[in-house]
Amino acid sequence: MDGPSRPGARPAQRATMLGVHEFSIAEALAAQVQRHAPASGRVAEVEISVGALRGLEPEALRMSWEAVTHDTPIAGAILRVDLRPWSITCSTCGRTWTSPVPFVACDCGDPAPVPTAGDELDLVALTIDEEEA
Amino acid sequence: MPEGGRTTRVPLVERVLEANDQIAADNRAELERRGIFSVDLIGAPGSGKTALLEATLRALKGHRRPAVLVGDLATRRDGDRLARWCDQVVQISTGQGCHLEANQVRDALGQIDLDAVDLLFIENVGNLICPVGFDLGQAAKVGLFSLTEGDDKAAKHPYLVEAADLLLLNKIDLLPHLSFDRPSFEADVRLLNRRVAILDVSATTGQGLDAWIAWLDR
Repeated sequence: MDGPSRPGARPAQRATMLGVHEFSIAEALAAQVQRHAPASGRVAEVEISVGALRGLEPEALRMSWEAVTHDTPIAGAILRVDLRPWSITCSTCGRTWTSPVPFVACDCGDPAPVPTAGDELDLVALTIDEEEA
Repeated sequence: MPEGGRTTRVPLVERVLEANDQIAADNRAELERRGIFSVDLIGAPGSGKTALLEATLRALKGHRRPAVLVGDLATRRDGDRLARWCDQVVQISTGQGCHLEANQVRDALGQIDLDAVDLLFIENVGNLICPVGFDLGQAAKVGLFSLTEGDDKAAKHPYLVEAADLLLLNKIDLLPHLSFDRPSFEADVRLLNRRVAILDVSATTGQGLDAWIAWLDR
């Protein structure tokens, strides 16, 4: 499949990275994209937005995507994952910032600012390469 | 861009799990119409989901009319255990699937005499991550943690903590024997979810089950 582009990944490692969690999401997404795909033209890119609460690994999602779209009309479409970060609010100093992980200390010394995140999992856009009629 | 062709970006805003969510909405409407309170029980393998349901069904005998859907990767063992305490048990074999989806619940509900039911338990596949994101049409999500998993499991599974309508902390009878830091567990939960109640229970000794039953009856 895409072995040559990932020379370091042996089959056992690949199987581990293809977490079943991301796999079922990728399957649902592939079915959805195929419903939207135009009869003429090729789906070049698929953009999704994912809230941090979902706990999805973009790399595992992309590998699952390659596996489930292989040998389908949307094979080769690039999956772009916009992973929305956690929003952290410190109740001591009032500062708000974003973080890839929920449990972080604040610079002011507060050890436990409040993390919030969304659980969106949205198909945001498709990029279509249209063939000339 | 292919030569002579053109590239178009088509904006969409559509939930990826829209198909599942639609079936879940149908399940929810059907259960509500029938006045059936439904619980999606989510917990790790070995946290005691089946043991908790066994104890719960025993306590509800003659008092409520429960049914159970139980998801498992491969075996019928959980279904067989629960069938000793409840007439209406449907085992859903998920094969490779790490979570239940709404269509499996819909199909399983078709195997139940819903006229004879006022309380539905859905024991999800043992997993703290995948099941949370798949709506089944349940009235309430209940997260089950247990002391033997360690006190950091709430912090490591924020989606379940955030989404849960109730958290159960099972195997509480083992507290004197383990290094489980109960206040630390609760502090992590509170950062993610200020409102959710945490009930300490033991499916084995029956400790705390009264509060859980009262929650189901409210």
